[in-house]
Amino acid sequence: MNTLKKISNLCIVLSLTMITFKAQGTAKEAFEIFKKDHSKSRNKRIAQELIDGKFYFSAIPYVNLYLDETNQMDVEVERDIETLILKTGTMAVLNLDDQKLEKFNIPSVHLILGTRYFNKESYKKSFDTLVKIPESHQFAVEANLIKGTIKDLERKTIEASFLYNSCKEKATKLEKDSKNEKMERYYKLLKETCTIRLARVKIEEKKYEEASVIYQNIDKRSYKWPYILMDKAWAAYYLNDYNRALGLTVTYKSPLLESYFFPEAEVLTALSYYNLCQFDDALAVVDHFYDNYKPKAEALKNLLGQNKESDTYFIDLYYADNETRDSLNPFIRNMITQTRKQVKFNLDIMSLKAAKDELQLIRKLKNKNEFTQIMEDNLDNTLEFISKKINTYIKREIFSFINEIHKHSYSMFNLQIELLAKKREEIYNSNVEAKTERARGSIDNVRRNVDQYFFDFNGSFWADELGDYSFGLESKCKIAEKVESEPAKIPNSTEDNTNQSKLPALIEETNKNILDKDSTRENKKNKSKKKV
Amino acid sequence: MKNIIMIAFISLSSFSNAEEAKDRKKNIIYKYKDYEAIDLGALEIKGKIIAPGDLTVSERERKMFKRELLEKRDFDFENKREISNLR
Repeated sequence: MNTLKKISNLCIVLSLTMITFKAQGTAKEAFEIFKKDHSKSRNKRIAQELIDGKFYFSAIPYVNLYLDETNQMDVEVERDIETLILKTGTMAVLNLDDQKLEKFNIPSVHLILGTRYFNKESYKKSFDTLVKIPESHQFAVEANLIKGTIKDLERKTIEASFLYNSCKEKATKLEKDSKNEKMERYYKLLKETCTIRLARVKIEEKKYEEASVIYQNIDKRSYKWPYILMDKAWAAYYLNDYNRALGLTVTYKSPLLESYFFPEAEVLTALSYYNLCQFDDALAVVDHFYDNYKPKAEALKNLLGQNKESDTYFIDLYYADNETRDSLNPFIRNMITQTRKQVKFNLDIMSLKAAKDELQLIRKLKNKNEFTQIMEDNLDNTLEFISKKINTYIKREIFSFINEIHKHSYSMFNLQIELLAKKREEIYNSNVEAKTERARGSIDNVRRNVDQYFFDFNGSFWADELGDYSFGLESKCKIAEKVESEPAKIPNSTEDNTNQSKLPALIEETNKNILDKDSTRENKKNKSKKKV
Repeated sequence: MKNIIMIAFISLSSFSNAEEAKDRKKNIIYKYKDYEAIDLGALEIKGKIIAPGDLTVSERERKMFKRELLEKRDFDFENKREISNLR
């Protein structure tokens, strides 16, 4: 065992030494070119030597300089750019303008340029660029997602669905074929994104039931799953299944989803109550929204204001130890957690780490010279740039979240006025007394499919039940209609108490698959109840 | 002659006055001023007296202001954001 360990260690040391020698060798070659070559292709040759030595970030400035000076494109440069994009991401072409990138004929550049145009809202240019990526290429998955989005924005739903479907199928195949775990996760993410898009198109086409079926394909353990609860809740809302919409939005109250904030979920909850004519409940949600989100928005605004000049504060929070993180407002801590789950953020963090490793490698080189010093300075700049980029990204996320709160507070304001008007109407129509006698919930009001079971909600959230809740509230609107047509029956106190004891809890849990439900329930009964 | 005529005229007129005074004493008709009657039917009174107990609000439909409530007909915002968070 010890011998094996020694051999293994030796192999690692040998391979590291070889890399260092190789790195040193190519850095030396690059230095020779730097010193002696004064031709037009000097920068291109330096870049090629650095790429061979795996100094990818150090090679970027030389490729960019070459393209700036000569404006010439050839197969070698295209190959170098492709390698750099694969190793450093968008950093490779960050300083190259759109016109320059248009001259490239490689899928990686098409994808970067297409995404760039998309983010600038130049959708036609974006589509025309992305269309150049061959369907057989691995980047076609992402390209089809963006192209589908463009068609979706144009409300060309058939074309959008076709592209999303193609994206989903390609991603499924690539996910299966992936040998690298990271790539597998990446294709899974794309597959799920495109599946969700197909469901969203159905919602846009007002085919809410079809959308609900598509959403069932997203695994509850998926990173995307908490986000689709909102989509599903809207689908249920437009199907007039307000109890289901309430059940879906209440899922965000589960301890497992405490780091997710959706101000829109609060608005949808209030709207669902409003449509059930449960005006008091709706008003309580409106009040809760202001009580809950106002201090959060204030805390974030203060945080942004205090650190608006800082280029490092937010990225430092990412690297902060547990003690520092615990000292933060829990809401801000959760906000940072959410940002860390974004793909872009992770890609930038990976770039930052790779650039740091490269700098360490250069610092370990034995023969230091003018050229290695330039490389070090360049990498210092690169590191500073990526850090600023990440810092800005977190800042932007916080900023957009504050805006979202403000946007929804406007929706809440309108709803509040409507609710007050309805309350006034209730008083005019003298329906209040009749309604206060009404029961709070019943299984009769829960809409279920044939493959859905019903269980009482006992106050605990179980991970496998998340997203399957439904309320059992009866619409007060029906009661109001009844009251108008027939006189209100005043129940005697005994009858009322009996009814109360028979009533199920406010929240009813349903929608479980029969096959796995029996075994889960049995296990639960055997175990003592505990909160997830 | 003139004197005779004058005396005759005076004595004739005083005779007639005495006859008149005799008639007056017989038929004295006391006349009052005419009664000033008011024709109520001919007068038009505009408006009417409203007693406090009769306060009413005229029937009309209450104006309901419909506010714009949140709708979700597309996912453009989320879709764009997802793309910008990819790279």
